[in-house]
Amino acid sequence: MRYAFLLDMGKCIGCRGCAMACKNFYNLEPEMVWRQVYPLAEAIYPHSGRAFLSLSCNHCEHPVCVTACPTASYTQRADGIVVHNMETCIGCQNCVRSCPYGAPRYSATLGKVQKCGMCWERLDAGLLPSCVLGCVTGALTIINLDDYVAPGIVQYPAGYPVMKKISPSTRFILPKEPVMYGVKP
Amino acid sequence: MKLNGLSRRGFLKGLAATGAAASLPALFAPVPARGAPFNPAAYQVFQNACPRNCYDTCAMRSYVQDGILKFVEGSPQSTFTKGSVCVKGYEYPRRVYSPDRIKYPMLQDGRGSGNWRRISWDEAMDRISDKILDIKKRDGSLLGLGLTKYSGNFGITNYSVEGMMSSLGYTTRFVGTPCWPAGIDAQNYDMGDMWCNDPEDIVKARYIILFGANPAWCSMHSVKFLYEAQRRGARLVVIDPLFTQTAAKADVYWRPKPATDGALALGMCRHLLDRDLVNEDFVRNYSHGYDEFENYLKNNVTVEWASEVTGIPADQIRQVTEEFAASTPATVWIGYGLQRHTNGGAMVRSIDAFVAMTGNIGLEGGGARYGQLQTWGFSYYGMVQKPPQGSVGFRGTGGPKGEFDFQLEGSSEYGDRSVNINKTAQEILDTKDPEIKMLWVACKNPFAQDFDRNKMEKAFKKLEMVVTVDQFFNETVQNSDIVLPVTTLFEEWTVNVSYWHYWLALNEQAIKPMHEAKSDIEIACALSKAMNAKEKGSCTFPEEADVKEWTIKEFNKGIYDYFGIESWEKLREGPVKAKLKSTAAWPDRKFKTPSGKYEFKSELCEKNGFNALPVYVAPIEPTAPFRLYTTHIQFGLHSQFVNLDWMRPFYSEPFVFIHPVAAKEKGIADGDRVRVFNEIGEVELKAKISDNVARDMLVMYEAWFPYLKYNVQNVVTDLRSDMGEMKTGAPGAAILDQFVDIRKVG
Repeated sequence: MRYAFLLDMGKCIGCRGCAMACKNFYNLEPEMVWRQVYPLAEAIYPHSGRAFLSLSCNHCEHPVCVTACPTASYTQRADGIVVHNMETCIGCQNCVRSCPYGAPRYSATLGKVQKCGMCWERLDAGLLPSCVLGCVTGALTIINLDDYVAPGIVQYPAGYPVMKKISPSTRFILPKEPVMYGVKP
Repeated sequence: MKLNGLSRRGFLKGLAATGAAASLPALFAPVPARGAPFNPAAYQVFQNACPRNCYDTCAMRSYVQDGILKFVEGSPQSTFTKGSVCVKGYEYPRRVYSPDRIKYPMLQDGRGSGNWRRISWDEAMDRISDKILDIKKRDGSLLGLGLTKYSGNFGITNYSVEGMMSSLGYTTRFVGTPCWPAGIDAQNYDMGDMWCNDPEDIVKARYIILFGANPAWCSMHSVKFLYEAQRRGARLVVIDPLFTQTAAKADVYWRPKPATDGALALGMCRHLLDRDLVNEDFVRNYSHGYDEFENYLKNNVTVEWASEVTGIPADQIRQVTEEFAASTPATVWIGYGLQRHTNGGAMVRSIDAFVAMTGNIGLEGGGARYGQLQTWGFSYYGMVQKPPQGSVGFRGTGGPKGEFDFQLEGSSEYGDRSVNINKTAQEILDTKDPEIKMLWVACKNPFAQDFDRNKMEKAFKKLEMVVTVDQFFNETVQNSDIVLPVTTLFEEWTVNVSYWHYWLALNEQAIKPMHEAKSDIEIACALSKAMNAKEKGSCTFPEEADVKEWTIKEFNKGIYDYFGIESWEKLREGPVKAKLKSTAAWPDRKFKTPSGKYEFKSELCEKNGFNALPVYVAPIEPTAPFRLYTTHIQFGLHSQFVNLDWMRPFYSEPFVFIHPVAAKEKGIADGDRVRVFNEIGEVELKAKISDNVARDMLVMYEAWFPYLKYNVQNVVTDLRSDMGEMKTGAPGAAILDQFVDIRKVG
């Protein structure tokens, strides 16, 4: 059993509903985000601001935050979710510096780091993560990575850092483009 | 696609079958970690509804603990909302507790000065009632008191604001709508009403054309139905001068020249003729004036002409037309932007004609989808108020006061005076005998929403008193004398429906009003009390009202029957959907036109000064090098939501989007500060280079950033669209027929 986010970029409309749903559920500080939506560069998708990576913590197979943390505030659950414990966090930001995906975020107000825990509190209560529930188009889902095979699924879409050693669990389905006619761009 | 022995689809179906897509089946056995799981039972859960001017009008649930709104979610019962609200709706907890909220009545010493001071509700009402009585004394009527109200809050009980005005006497009303009036009239000429299929039935369509609609930003909850239709094999064609987010999800994207959609639709109609693809049953048995329309097409329209006018290749027009005609059901969704042109109503009529010629009107999964008001049959208890005895008003025929005016005209000698909401500034400046001296603003932000901001500022200077009811210190509030704090949806009762889907949602009060906020009903009561204390009988509005009771009074047998419920209390369990005999509009093809048929030829349209047939009407000539679009962005609804600090990580500043070639010609680099200007004003902001826009177009999305001097209405004139007057009381606004130039700053 290993939980992972699956983002179907073909369905994602870049609305940021997932990221705001997270702020809504956790009542995050105004500038704080545990999930962010990144428009793809035109070199990757030819229409600017029309395809996206929606990313939070990738709940890596070999998470560097766990090894970087001096206070053992990170734990990896048996189901793959990497949980950060704010109570023991001393705000040293070793994790912030170590994570190649920028998942842990430092709150200057709290003097501590925060991060997506895949809504483990909700999962444990039999509910979907807030971002998944909040995705209006069904682009963002969770899967069991141990037992999920689907055509066209990729681990490293263009624009997403390749980190083979730590092996992020997030998976992606790539976006498509329409055939275009009319006034020449 | 297997998940622990279950197919993925089976898994999702399993989720749906539990009634809440939020529930996880036991196969996802969680691993205990430190800390307690989330416990929904620790919250009080209330039914709510998002009352903004949005297709989706989400049924919501709010989670409250110790009287505090903790978070919201989409109602799982509504198959339209399906558990999720949107990027805006998830901001609601912040909206309620925003430090920027207007907390108590305030008075500004010198409009626009920023010298605000707190006053009591009593003092506010004292000053307001004094002014109203003063106007009545000076003019002998209350026509000098104007009301501008539109879509900031579409709660049914919020129509009590109109009721409050009626209870004072005959006043001046800003009527019409900047939103969708030309299309409403167009559909009324063609079919006798505006009535769309259940949007959820688009999954049954085999072919879908979105004509100028961008649901990915403006009706996000509709997108999943488009995807499902595509998954079932439907082809999705998006037609839009902008390469929108929805266009990126299409199979085929057409970029026509702006405001030429009428030519495109007519070219498609002509091709149906050429290939003998016209649905003879529909045009012979259910339509009026078809032969004349056919003659018009034969004599005036060719596919090559349509191609030349629109820029869409002729072979594409032929191919899509043939594919559409070969797919049953096939449907067109007509967006509201399309009719915000001087030829907007005419274009909608041409598109309707294409759908009608293919026989798709009246089919489930078919139809020319635009909007509906079928679900709005409430009692309008708060809205229907009698004027005080002896009130003097306007003599003459009134006409509708907007598309949501369901009130029957009274038989009184006098009525309210109607002025055009789409020319708000001009009407304030021009209206005489008597002049508009005082303005009440509710559920509206004229400085953000109405046109020609500079003229608006001039017009407001003419007013003796401006009272604005709002939640934030927006530009209209800045140009007011008195601001009254109004409750958010979580602090009041009401009931909501959509102009698109067929769900009915109750909005329960979830928390006590914050600060000194009052609902629109309570504000009307307070005013009535102050008026009657000074002059008994000067206001007929009740001085006390229980907002929950008033909400209940909005229900009637018609509503109960339409939605198949016995009592409003059923809605405390969640939203309900109309019991539709068919998901199609016009399933029996009995139209509400004078002929009872679909009218390719509308004598009524001709009588109202337009062409009887849905003929081509050319767009206006540009008056500056670039056409400017000031359309919606997904982060805001007009001037709402972008102002809150929670939106900043996602949308912190506006841009004007310019094509790379145009940018090069103008010496503009990505991120440069530029001035966008025309004869009425200018906007300064950063440029972003993108070929999502055509070379001769610029796009700036409308929004209110409280910390920036950004307002697209600086450069949007109050040019009118063609239609709209018949059903909404005033013609629409040609918001997309705006022209500007651009220059690098410095």
